[in-house]
Amino acid sequence: MSILILSGTALAFSGFAATSITMDRHYADIHGRGAEPSPATRLRLRTLGWIGLALSFMACIGASGWHIGPVLWCGILSLAAWSVTLLLQYHPRKVMHGAWIGLPAALLTTALLLR
Amino acid sequence: MKEGLRQSMAWVHTWSGLLVCWLLLLVFMGGTAAYYKHEITFWMKPELHKAADAPSRVSPAESATLAVRELQQRAPKANAWFLDLPHERNPLIYASWTNPPKKGMTREERRAAFRTQNFTLDPMTGEKTAAPRDTRGGEFLYRLHFDLYYMSAIWGRWIVGIASMFMLVAIVSGVITHKRIFKDFFTFRPKKGQRSWLDAHNATAVLALPFHLMITYTGIVTLMFMYMPAPTKALYGSEQNTMFSEVFPNAERVKPAREFAPLADVAPMLLQAERAWGAAPSRVVVTNPNDANARIELHRPAGQQLSNIEPTMTFDGATGAQLSGPKPMSTSLDARAAIYGLHVAHFADPLLRALFFVCGLAGTAMVATGALLWGVKERQKYAKAIANGGKVGFGVRLVDALNIGAIAGLPIAFAAYFWANRLLPVEMAGRSNAEANWFFIAWGLAALLAQIRPTRAMWRIQLTVGAAMLAGIPALNAFTTDTHLGVTLFGGPGLRPVAAFDLVVLALGLLLGWAAWWLGRKARKQAAAKQPTSTHTTPLEAT
Repeated sequence: MSILILSGTALAFSGFAATSITMDRHYADIHGRGAEPSPATRLRLRTLGWIGLALSFMACIGASGWHIGPVLWCGILSLAAWSVTLLLQYHPRKVMHGAWIGLPAALLTTALLLR
Repeated sequence: MKEGLRQSMAWVHTWSGLLVCWLLLLVFMGGTAAYYKHEITFWMKPELHKAADAPSRVSPAESATLAVRELQQRAPKANAWFLDLPHERNPLIYASWTNPPKKGMTREERRAAFRTQNFTLDPMTGEKTAAPRDTRGGEFLYRLHFDLYYMSAIWGRWIVGIASMFMLVAIVSGVITHKRIFKDFFTFRPKKGQRSWLDAHNATAVLALPFHLMITYTGIVTLMFMYMPAPTKALYGSEQNTMFSEVFPNAERVKPAREFAPLADVAPMLLQAERAWGAAPSRVVVTNPNDANARIELHRPAGQQLSNIEPTMTFDGATGAQLSGPKPMSTSLDARAAIYGLHVAHFADPLLRALFFVCGLAGTAMVATGALLWGVKERQKYAKAIANGGKVGFGVRLVDALNIGAIAGLPIAFAAYFWANRLLPVEMAGRSNAEANWFFIAWGLAALLAQIRPTRAMWRIQLTVGAAMLAGIPALNAFTTDTHLGVTLFGGPGLRPVAAFDLVVLALGLLLGWAAWWLGRKARKQAAAKQPTSTHTTPLEAT
């Protein structure tokens, strides 16, 4: 089930990206110095971030089962977090745009898991 | 001044890390490479490449039959036969056997009899392949990462074990002392001196923390009976072997009846196992072949569970009837097998294996950046002295030199091992030992030169040498074998490991080359900014 793993990776990236945007430093990186997210945006993005990470966990379980899935998830989380970290440094706006990939990935994952 | 928990943990983190970091670099690099030990071994035996080129069209049952036929001719009276059948990571049939000891043998002769002898079969034709060159391949790197070398394995394991426990302490204290673990989660700020090194250390450590914790802890568990002998001693006294035979689900060892009985056909057994498991066995062990008490044990291939102890099926070798097999494992043994399995990752498919490899590289980077950070911080105490043309203290100089020798020197050692594999004469006596010696000759030379001149120029020289040697391996392979990238990239799936090896060492070489170039650019910038200064006392400081 490599499609499931792929969409799980996209979800992990998207989840971390959404979480990182709520952090003051990275929000300022994207929107200019001194900008701060509103409490509502912060809450919304954080919730979406956690949902993304949870769904990516389910995608890994769906792809590799309860034994090996969690191990796979840990590896994918590291990979996603490194990508977000590097992207925030060199192309911060791309993190914001890239986070949208979580939406189709979430639909795809849900569809594949419920199938 | 009253010290808080964080400050005292910072002290623990610094010193537990620094004391063992150079050894940990060796362990991390060796262990990371060991995730591909089969592929490395295969690359190092180019004589086998040709046979692996064509996709295997022979079923596992037929492969086993072929190998058994060959073993019947070569070693009908062996103690045991071992067959490794073709599967994803192994394109060929590997067969080996041990001879029974005879009465009146000396200890040395007994040991020689127990040493396995082996041959390799081409699964396409059933013919023996060309004899591969004498090399330990990836097995050397795997053993190196916990047995070390030039000393008894017991000593090596104690040294590595103690270093691992320091590492575990360093990880836990590092998490406690990291004040902004969540705020700095995604932070990397390059070109900011010490700040950047700290960010890089944090990013490689925190973002792969599950892996680092897991690999260190499980590494210690793999040798727990050695590191923590007290419980076994208390329960079994000196009868350690009784414990092992009671706890581990080995098929019961039967003595040979010394009565001839023809060996039953193995093919139906393999088919039966394949039906039961949904996957053909990857390993067959025949004990007491051609004896009334012969046993045939089939092992399920890895990939379905974390545990490193795969289920087996046992058959009576004389009658061909299935036996009840080993007793079920206890829950605690199951847990240990899963922990052990996590460390060795036999279950990992290509993607997961690559993730383990990348996390291993991140671990190497974590240790390396940590070691560099100590030097960068400590050097600040000498900032004034350096500005006045003075020198840094002995400690900083020593750490700088060890850092060069380990961080830049170890890649040279790995590359030298692979170069030796291709360049030493194929018929040379004691070839596999010579290859290993070249690993240490190269490393020793790098470490020695680093001690003599621990300068930034030395960093650049060693990084460049390592880069050239690693990136040059595909070219070396092209000149010394017929299976270069031009062939392997377009060949059958059996040659994929050879292509992947070439590409990965090329990528690692380019990475080192980039590091050398980056250092050189910095040196040029600094020289241009403040002429005239002596550059050779300036080490790897931050930008």
